[in-house]
Amino acid sequence: MEDMLFYDRLQFAFTITFHYIFPQLTMGLSLLIVFLKGKYLLSKIEKYNNAAKFLMNIFAINFTMGVVTGIPMEFQFGTNWAKFSELTGSVIGQTLAMEGMFSFFLESSFLALFIFGEKLMGQKLHFLTGFLVFLGSWASGWFILATNAWMQHPVGYEILENGKFVLNNFGDLFSNPWLLPAFLHNQMASVVTSSFVVASIGAFYVLRNKQVEYGKLFLKTGVIFGLVSSLLVAFPTGDWNAKNVAKHQPAAFAAMEGIFETEEAGSEIVLIGQPNMVDKKLDNKIAVPNILSFLTHQDWNKQIPGMDQFKEEELPSNIPALYYSYHIMVGLGTIFIGVMALALFFLIRKNLYTIKPLLWTIMFLVPFPYIANLTGWYTTELGRQPYLVYGLLKTSDGISPTVSSGNTLFTLLGFVALYMLLGLLFLVLVGKTINQGPTPQTH
Amino acid sequence: MTGTFISLISIIIGITAANTFGYFKKTYSFGLTGNTLIGVFGSVLLIKSFGRLGFDPWSIMQNESFNVSLFAINCLVSTIGGVLGLIAAKTLYNKLNQ
Repeated sequence: MEDMLFYDRLQFAFTITFHYIFPQLTMGLSLLIVFLKGKYLLSKIEKYNNAAKFLMNIFAINFTMGVVTGIPMEFQFGTNWAKFSELTGSVIGQTLAMEGMFSFFLESSFLALFIFGEKLMGQKLHFLTGFLVFLGSWASGWFILATNAWMQHPVGYEILENGKFVLNNFGDLFSNPWLLPAFLHNQMASVVTSSFVVASIGAFYVLRNKQVEYGKLFLKTGVIFGLVSSLLVAFPTGDWNAKNVAKHQPAAFAAMEGIFETEEAGSEIVLIGQPNMVDKKLDNKIAVPNILSFLTHQDWNKQIPGMDQFKEEELPSNIPALYYSYHIMVGLGTIFIGVMALALFFLIRKNLYTIKPLLWTIMFLVPFPYIANLTGWYTTELGRQPYLVYGLLKTSDGISPTVSSGNTLFTLLGFVALYMLLGLLFLVLVGKTINQGPTPQTH
Repeated sequence: MTGTFISLISIIIGITAANTFGYFKKTYSFGLTGNTLIGVFGSVLLIKSFGRLGFDPWSIMQNESFNVSLFAINCLVSTIGGVLGLIAAKTLYNKLNQ
């Protein structure tokens, strides 16, 4: 049983991690595309239109890879997590079906129209199709986050005698107090990723002295959006999210902050330290006193319960992984603000395009927003363990009882091989598109 | 269990079919990127729409035994999906850009 649970979780972690590489870019990129297309409508300067269409090509490749890697996720609910699907299907099935019916179709239909239909539709309608693609991709995030919010903080349900969850208030799914902060935080983080991608494409063009006009446009757009979104990820959305965790999942909050022992008055915030699970303490820590209490409750001396206040079974099952995921996310987020603030400073001074070390830094930073987004999700998911539905359904009770661990391992290896192939294909397609660059067109 | 894996194989067959068709029939080709994207959507659309007739990944792996004939039909439909997707996309593209 332990083995089955381990391999089911490993397979889900692998496939969802690979899948989330793609939607996190599409959601943020759609906003930048709408911005550039809108700017073209207002200014009639052709380069904005060409830039929007170029970014839509990258969007399309990402979107398609997201679809390919999303389909096995849907199957996994039935194959590896049959018990979870059986018990909670009438709740989470609602939001997942809405995601497919409303968001996916909205996104894919108007994506095709955006790519093919500019000439026929005219510029205003072309802008509208871009906006609808944006709406579809953000609605997709909303429905998926609504599903996850219910798993983190279940509301509007009742449990029948046979153990099945049913909805007794549909509206509660969307007014769940967990949902809005999680959605805003997630969307801002996806804008950070896309801003870094766009800025890094710009840095690449400027450094190679190729498509320089577009390179400068991408750098400028990426840096401005990157700084604003990096700040918004931290405050208010990240702050709001953390307060939500402290309120609804206090054991997870203690674990992610590394609070092993409750302090009498005012909790310190740990900047660096390694969880020592044997002695139940943080080794080599660097901490600032009372800050965590202030950030969480706006009271320097407010007590925050440490892990010693909870029973063993209430604590997350992998505390070091949770602690490190959270700290990597926060650390990277801080670096993003610093780099983008520096880039904006030089952009205002009109010499960003000539500072090569900074351009190289921006270009090579591109994997890190992906890592920050993924570790953010690991924090959310590891914090909920050992539950699938927080406090109500344990992860070990949600797996398919008849699927052997060998079977799961076999398909996991298959996924690794096929995803490697898909990953290579993705890199080739994106590389080709970037290498080709925006195609100048005039109307 | 293997059903999950089959769903992914179907899509890859759709991608391959669209690219192969585009390679031989240049008038329908959108290049590697376009053909790949259309191959995905073509195969997904056909398998999702018609797979319930009895050749979707669930049916192929019914009772945990692998049904080769159904898998072959699945692959064939994916191939057709990729090819038809390319033809449909080119027709739509031509109509929209006349």
